[in-house]
Amino acid sequence: MSAARLILLLLISLLISRLHGQDGGQLYTLYCSACHAPDGKGATGGAFPPLAGSEWVSGDAKRAIGIVLKGLHGPAEISGKTYNLEMPPQGAVLGDDLIAAILTYVNSSWGNSGMNVTPELVKNTRAEMASRSTPWTAPEILKIYPLPEKKPALENLISRVYKGQWSQLPEFDKIQAENVEEEHDGILSTTLSGLADNFGIVWEGDFIAREDGEYEFVLDADDGARLLLKGEVVSNVQGIGPMNGGRTSKGKISLTKGKHPIRVEYYELNGNEGISLGWKGPGITEWQWLSDQTGQPQQAWPSIPLSPKDGKAVIYRNFIEGTTPRSIAFGFPGGLNLAYSADHLAPTLIWIGEFMNAGRHWTDRGTGNQAPSGDNLVKLANSRSLPDSARFKGYTLDPAGNPTFKIQIADQILSDNWKPGPDQTLLRTLLLNGGTSTLEIPLGDPAITGSATATLTPGTPATITYRLK
Amino acid sequence: MRILLSLAALTTCAFSQIQADFYNRQEIPLPPGEVMEVSSIALMPGKKVAVATRRGDLWICSGAYDENLSKVTWVKFAHGLHEPLGMFYKGTSLYLTQRPDFSRLEDTDGDGKADVFETINSEWGINGDYHEYAFGTAPDKNGDVWITLCLTGSFTADSNWRGWALRITPDGKMIPTCSGIRSPGGMGFNAEGEVFYSDNQGPWNGSSSVKWLKPGSFQGNPMGNKFHQLANLPTPPEPADKSRILTERKKFPTFGPPAVVLPHAKVGQSPSGIVADMSGGKFGPWNHQLYVGEQTHSQVQRICLEKVNGLYQGAVFHFLEGSEAGIIPVQLDQKEGVLFVGGSNRGWGSRGTKTFTFERVKWTGKTPFEMKTMTAHSDGFTLNFTEPLDTAAATNPASYAMSAWTYIYQSEYGSPEVDQSTPLITAAKISGDKKSVRLTINGLVQGHVHHLTAPGLISASGAKLWHPDAFYTLNEIPK
Repeated sequence: MSAARLILLLLISLLISRLHGQDGGQLYTLYCSACHAPDGKGATGGAFPPLAGSEWVSGDAKRAIGIVLKGLHGPAEISGKTYNLEMPPQGAVLGDDLIAAILTYVNSSWGNSGMNVTPELVKNTRAEMASRSTPWTAPEILKIYPLPEKKPALENLISRVYKGQWSQLPEFDKIQAENVEEEHDGILSTTLSGLADNFGIVWEGDFIAREDGEYEFVLDADDGARLLLKGEVVSNVQGIGPMNGGRTSKGKISLTKGKHPIRVEYYELNGNEGISLGWKGPGITEWQWLSDQTGQPQQAWPSIPLSPKDGKAVIYRNFIEGTTPRSIAFGFPGGLNLAYSADHLAPTLIWIGEFMNAGRHWTDRGTGNQAPSGDNLVKLANSRSLPDSARFKGYTLDPAGNPTFKIQIADQILSDNWKPGPDQTLLRTLLLNGGTSTLEIPLGDPAITGSATATLTPGTPATITYRLK
Repeated sequence: MRILLSLAALTTCAFSQIQADFYNRQEIPLPPGEVMEVSSIALMPGKKVAVATRRGDLWICSGAYDENLSKVTWVKFAHGLHEPLGMFYKGTSLYLTQRPDFSRLEDTDGDGKADVFETINSEWGINGDYHEYAFGTAPDKNGDVWITLCLTGSFTADSNWRGWALRITPDGKMIPTCSGIRSPGGMGFNAEGEVFYSDNQGPWNGSSSVKWLKPGSFQGNPMGNKFHQLANLPTPPEPADKSRILTERKKFPTFGPPAVVLPHAKVGQSPSGIVADMSGGKFGPWNHQLYVGEQTHSQVQRICLEKVNGLYQGAVFHFLEGSEAGIIPVQLDQKEGVLFVGGSNRGWGSRGTKTFTFERVKWTGKTPFEMKTMTAHSDGFTLNFTEPLDTAAATNPASYAMSAWTYIYQSEYGSPEVDQSTPLITAAKISGDKKSVRLTINGLVQGHVHHLTAPGLISASGAKLWHPDAFYTLNEIPK
C-alpha cells in the first residue's frame, strides 16, 4: 500500500469514527464540562453541582435523561448541598444517540456505577416528556423519579424514653425507661416519644463507618444532648436553650471501617424540642444527617455584609425588597440607611442598624430581591407622585459620600439631598431650581417627619428631619 | 502519485505551532482581596485602563501596559453601580451602560473618585429579573450609543423594550432601533463602524452567532415584538416555528440573518464582547477583522467579514485560548496593539477555572501560519493565508474537506445541526504569491454554515496550520 493510500484510509476512518461511534467522553467535554468540570466534581470549586458520586445520576436513568432534555430550574439539593440551578435544556440541541453517549459516560466515570443509557431509552423518555415546555424543578422530577433511598449510617438503633424534669443530663442508666422501641429507619427523632415537655431519650445502636479515617459530628438540641462513640464523649450540648446554631457542638473521632457503638443522650425541659446530629467523614464533605431535623438551615449564599467605610456612606444598587428595581441604597455612618427609587423619584425605605447583605446578588447569578439587613424598616413611598414628564437625572456625592438626587421636572430641577444628622436622624434638604411653579412633595410617614408634605418654592431650600426609632 | 507521496513525506515532518510563540497572554495583578468579576473595560488617556465589575465597582488601573506588571496600581473610582456591561471614556467622563440606565461618571473635585453620576437615559424596563442585562457600545459615527436588552429570564419580554436594540443620542433621547434580540453577550463595531452584537444559543437561536444590527432589522426572536406599539414602529416579523432562517427571512425583508454563526460547542458556547482590529497590524495580520470573546470556553475567536448582496457574512476561526476565567469584555488598544480581556464564571461555568480574571495579550511579532480570510464566490471560496503555501499540498483537493449544515429555526432551546450536506471540492488553484488558494466547489448551500477543514495543509516552510478549521456562514452566494 502506498503512503498516500494509507493516509487517505486513515482520514476516511477518522471521518467515519467521528460520524458514527459517539464518544461520550468527548461529548461530555464539549457540552457539559464547563459547568460540571472535567472531573465531574462541579466547576469553580463547587459553584456548579457535581455529577461524580451524585445520587441524581443513580437509580432510574430517566431522571437524568429528563434533566438533560428539559433542563432543571430552581433550588435542588445535590450531594448534601443546595444549588440554585439554571441548567439549560439540551433536548433540542442533542440527539438521542448523543445524550445516550454522554449519560453512559457520566454513569461509568468517576466511581459512578449507573446503567448504560441507550438511544432507545432517550427516545422513549423524549416522547413521554414531549408535552413539557418548561424546565423541570427538583420537586417535580423527584416526584416521578425519586432519588434512591440512602442506606442509613445507624443500624440496630434502639430508643429509650424517660420522664423527668431536667435542666442538665441525668444519669439515665439509673432511671427506669418508660418505653423502649427499635428504630428501623436509623433516624433520631424526638417526635416519636409522643411527649412535649419534661422527658429524655437515649438512643443506642451502631454507627457504620464506610472507611478508615477521621469522622466529624455536629450536634444541636433543644434543650440538651450528648454524643458518645465507643464510650467516648464526642460532642455535648449543655443547659437549656433553643436549636438556633448558637449552642451547636462539634467533635472529631478516628474510626476504622465497620460498626462502632453509638449512644446519644437527650433531654427536654419545656417549650420547643428537637435534636439534630450530622456527620462528615473521609470523602464526605457535606453534613450527612442522622436525625429528622438538619441543624441550621443552609443559607444558599455566603454572607457579604456591606457597611460604611472610612466614615463615608456605602452605596448598593441592586434589587431590594420593599422598593423598586431601579433603587439606590445608601448606608450612612452611624447605622442610618436609605433606599431611593429612581422609578418613583422618591425615597422609599429608611431603616437603622445593619445596611445590606450583598451575598444573594454577588454570588451565583444574583436572583431575587434582598431585604434590608437592619431593623425598624419604614416605608416612605409606594408609588410615584411627580408628573409623568419628570425624569431621574442621577445623583452627586459630597466628599462624605452623601447623595443629592436630581430630578428634572419640565424647566425645573429638584435636588434631594440626604445626610445623617444627630440622634439617629436623617436630614433631607429639598431645593427646587428654575421656573416659577411651586411643588408639593409627599414626605412619607408623618409620624417620623412631623408633616405629610412639604411645599417648595423655587430657590428656597427646605430641610426635613427623619427621626428613626 | 509523486505529488501525493511528497505530501505524505511532508506531513510526517510538518511542525505544529503553539500560542505562546505568537501571543503573550498575561494576568494583570488585581488589588489584593478584591473580587473583580470584570464586566467592562475602557481605555483612558495616559495609558490608564478603567475596569468595571459585576459587583458594581469601577477601578482605574495604571501600569497595565508596562513590561513589568508587578508595579500595576489601582484606584477605586466608584462603587454601587448595577452590573455595568459597556463602558467608554470621552471628554472628562466615563460613560456606562448598566442594568437600569446609561450614565455619565465624572470626578469634578479632582480627588480621584467619581462624584457625578448623571443618568442620561433610563427609559427601558427592568423588573428585578437577573437576566435582564443591558449591554452597551461606545458612540457610533453619529455619536449614538447602542444598547441591547436581554429578554426577561432570557425567554420572555416582561419589561418594556426587552429583546430590542436601542440607540441613545448625544442629547439623551432613546431610539428603539432593532427587534428580535434574545440574550446578548457583548457588542462592538466592525471596521466600517457598523454595530454588531453576539447572541447566545437558545429559543429561536439554533446556535450562538454574531449579528449585524442594521437599523430597522429583526434579529430572529419574536418575544419582544409587542413593544413596537410603544413607539409607533412597524410590526416586526412573526416567523413560523420549526422553520429555517433562510425560509423565514425570504418572507420578511427586515429579518437580518446572523452574520456569522458560531457553531455550538464546535466554536463556543457563550460568545461575549466584540472588538474590531483597526491597529493596522500591531496585533498580527488581522487588520479589520473582529475578535469575539467566548465565556464558556475562555477563548477569543476571530472573524473575517464581507458584504454580499447587502448582507454581512463571513468566517469564524479559533484564535486565542487559555484565559483563566470566562471572558466577558474584550478591548483592543489600537495604537499599542494590546488586547485586554476580563471576565468571570459566576453563574455560568467556564473552562478557565478562576472565578474572575483581567488579562492582556500582546503579539510577539511572529506571525502564525494561518488562514487569514475566507471569502465566497459563486462556485467556491478563496482562502488567504498568512504565509506562502507548500504548492503540492495546497493544490491537492484532498488536502481539504468541507461539510455544511444549518439549524432548525424554532422556539425550542437551540437546535441540532440539520440538513447536512457535503460540498465537493473539485479544484484548488494557488495564486502566484502562493499565499492564496481558490477552491472550486460543487454544492454550496445558501444559508448553511460551511465548515472547511485543512489539517493536511502546510506552509512552504513546513508548518501546519495553527487552527485548521474555518466556519463560513453563507447567507448569500455571490453572483
